[in-house]
Formats: sequence, structure tokens, C-alpha cells
Amino acid sequence: MNLKEWIKTLTFYEILLGMKATLSHLIHYKPITLQYPHEKKQLPSNYRGMLALLRYDDGTEKCVGCDLCEAACPSRVIRVVSAEVPEEPAKRYSKEYYMDMTRCLFCGLCVDACPVDALGMTQEYEWAVYDKRQLHLNKQQLLAIGDRNFPVREKRLEFQHPNVAYFNVGFKDIPQKNVQ
Amino acid sequence: METAIRLGLTLGQIGAVMVAVLLTVALLTLLERKVLGWMQDRMGPMEVGPYGILQPVADGLKLFFKEDIIPAGANKLMFSMAPILSLVPALIGFAVIPFGPDWTVDVQGVDFKPFVITDINIGVLYILAFASIGAYGIILGGWSSNSKYSLLGGLRSAAQLISYELNVGLSIVGVLLLSSSLSLVTITNAQAGGFWNWYFFAWGSFPQAIAFMVFIISSVAETNRTPFDLPEAESELVAGFFTEYSGMRFAFFFLAEYGNMILVSCVATVLFFGGWHAPFEFLQGPESLHGLTGIAWFAIKVATFLFLFFWVRATLPRLRYDQLMRFGWKVLLPIALGNIVVTAIVEYIFPS
Repeated sequence: MNLKEWIKTLTFYEILLGMKATLSHLIHYKPITLQYPHEKKQLPSNYRGMLALLRYDDGTEKCVGCDLCEAACPSRVIRVVSAEVPEEPAKRYSKEYYMDMTRCLFCGLCVDACPVDALGMTQEYEWAVYDKRQLHLNKQQLLAIGDRNFPVREKRLEFQHPNVAYFNVGFKDIPQKNVQ
Repeated sequence: METAIRLGLTLGQIGAVMVAVLLTVALLTLLERKVLGWMQDRMGPMEVGPYGILQPVADGLKLFFKEDIIPAGANKLMFSMAPILSLVPALIGFAVIPFGPDWTVDVQGVDFKPFVITDINIGVLYILAFASIGAYGIILGGWSSNSKYSLLGGLRSAAQLISYELNVGLSIVGVLLLSSSLSLVTITNAQAGGFWNWYFFAWGSFPQAIAFMVFIISSVAETNRTPFDLPEAESELVAGFFTEYSGMRFAFFFLAEYGNMILVSCVATVLFFGGWHAPFEFLQGPESLHGLTGIAWFAIKVATFLFLFFWVRATLPRLRYDQLMRFGWKVLLPIALGNIVVTAIVEYIFPS
């Protein structure tokens, strides 16, 4: 150790440096705390919160009961019981639709998988409950979540035959194959 | 009759000091969290009352109504005795601290000193002795809990308190050489006149600044506070020696820790910074107001030391165990011994 280091040790130079840093934070006090229940953070528009089932503007359910969300889900959250629409054998709908939100990891794969955009992710995140069975949601609850979060509904296309499940999916973002 | 008056006066004084100390402890618990928060860009407690000022009340109520658990296999007698053994020495030390000028009031034929409970001529020794007994509370609490974490915390604190108590004792010796008295009242009176007479500066003799550094570092270690909080290291030992304690017993350990903090701040003020004396004579005010200004200056100095405790806690990380021991025995102890030798020589050549 040379003289300079000895002087630094004897005068507690490094400790004083650290204490200066903490004191400067005390003097220039600017908290970064968000007082959570009183203040809430502005969420980004692509925030992946609670899942919801959506409706068309005439109040009919979008879901066609295709089971693709169930297949896409990595945590096996979704269970769909698909059924024919009575009197209309060509048209199907989800008779029952369950989501076990205790397992959901909010990856959004089900929303991506849905061919009719029947699933949506809301900005709700305050879903703490005392009984975890309350997180086992059925179709009515999921539709209610969708109703209260998406007041502007998608228009049902006029040329869609009521008997045909219209797959309104755009394949634009799938990369094109090189044609030789 | 005389005995009754003496008893009444003394008990009143003890009550006043106890209430003052315990209120300060309550205030400190809030202030520590607030100051730590501010230093770390947080807010500290904000929910109970405006800006969280009622937090100590809420904490106290919570501790009071919590279930008092004695763990299975614990030694019940020792387990209940340990918090008391640790709290009593922390509070009993205030008996010899002079909070204000050395006045003697005559109350119906009884000599009464309003600003010190007892002025015994071995005051410093008395405080050191009871500080050592406080270590028993911690060690017994750790041992009797029947838990590994508590036992390890107790063992660590045994080693730490023994090594650092030595440094506290030796760093005080310089002051004792200068004042040639063990009574805290005499030591305070010897530092009258201005800040250059405080033993930290000690004009005309050997300044005790180095001894003060040793003293303050060792007292941080003795009160088990960061960076020497190995006995209660949260990240290693859950909570150290009071892991198994809950309710009022836990509150006793808590009170003891903060009481010790105030006590060492008072002792540092009295020994090195002139006690109730103002840094300049004119700041002390007229003679009749010395009681008031004396207590005010004493409180300011103690508050400064308490802030230093918080400040150090916000800044420094915890020492490793071997670093702690090496620092105590190989750095602080030689410095304290060297300080005694130099002070003794200077005092012999230039007697004050």
C-alpha cells in the first residue's frame, strides 16, 4: 500500500464517499414509489391482463367452439365443450367454456390462435380472491368480463352467412415463401 | 419524611427519564424507516395517519395483541427471562447520564439534582458493566429458543459483543485520563467553556478524535446495528437471536436495541462532545436558562448521533464474520491501546 491509499484508509475516504451518496439522495429527495392503491400505473395498450370472451355488435357470441385455443394453451387453462347450434347442423358454438385462471400465465397464445378473434386480453389485473375456486371462470363470467372491458364491439359482417363460421383471419403477417 | 421525599423525587425522575426514552424509541422506529426510505428514494411508511406518523402506535398495538409463542423444546424460564435481561440493562444506563447542568436544588431539606438521576463516582464503569449484562439477554435468548438460527445468532453476538466491548472500554480510557474521573457529571463539567474544550478536540492536550472513532464504531457493533448486525443478519439467520420471539417479548428485544442506541449516543455525547454544553458560551444563554438550553443542546447532539446510526445503516453492507473479528482485534484494539499510551504521555508532560 502506498501513501495515498494509507491516507484514504485512515480518513475513511471510501465510506465517506458512500455516505455522501446516500446523503445526496436524502437532500435531493425524489421518491420513485407509486402509492399503489391510491395511484395506479398507466398500462401499455398491449398489456396482457385478464382474458375475456367477446361478442359481435348484435350481441351474439363470436366463439365458434373450434377448440383451437384449448390446443394452443400451454398450461391447459381452457376447456371447451363444443356443440352444434340446434336446428342448424352446420354451425357450431361453445356450449360450455371454462378457464382455470389459477394456472394461466397470460402468454396470449389462445388469443393469437383464435380464428374469429373471440378472445381478448383486458387490462384488468386486480384479481386477488380469498377462494381460489372463484378463479375457475365459466362462459358467462368470461363474457361479462368482455362486456365490461370492450364496450365497442366488432361489427358482424353482413355477407357472413349465419350458417357458416367465418374465419376472419388475415394471413398478412405470415412470411411469404420464396417463389423460384 | 426525608426518605419519602427523596423516594418520591427519585421515582418521579426515573419515570420522566423512562417515558422520555421510550417515547424517543417510538419516534426512532418511525424516523429510521422514514430516513432509510428517503435515502433509498422510497417514502417509508405512508398509510397509518398523515404521512405515516401514527405507524409506531400501530406497531405497538400489533405487538401488544400478538400471540406470545413459546417454541416446543424451549427452556421456558430462560426464554421468558432473556428479553427482560436485555431490556433492563439498556434502560438502567440512563441513571447516570447528566441531561443538563449540575444543579443541586434544595427540596425541603433534601438535596436534589434535577438533571441526573444519580451522580455516582463510577458512572462510566456502571454503564459498561450493564452493557455487558445486556449481552447475556441476547445469548440466553438465542440458546433457549431451541432453534438453529437463534443459536447461531446468539453465538455470533457473544463473540462480537466480547470483542467490541473491549474496544469501547479502551477507547474511553483516554477521556478518563484527561478528566481523571469516572463520574459522567464531572466529565461533562470538565468540558465547559466552548467546543475546543470538548474531549473530541481537547485543546491543550491530546485530542480524543481517534478514540471517538473507535468508540463510535465499536458502539455500532455493540448495539448490533448495520454494518455489524451479524447476530440478526436477516439474509442469513432469518432474524438471529430473536427468530422465535413474538409479541411483547419481541417488543422487549426491539426496545432494548433502540434503547441501547440512544444510550451509546448519550454516552458519546457526554464523553466526547461536552454533554449539555453549547459549542460557544453565548449560545448557552443566561445562567438561569442553562437547564433548558442544556437539555436542548444535549438532545441536538444525541439526535445527530442517532442520525449517524441511520445514515451508516443506509450506506454500508454487512461485514463478513472473519472481517468483523479481524477489524475488532487487529485494527481497533491496537488503535485504542495506542491512543491510551499517547494520551497518557501527553497528559504526563502537559498536565491539564
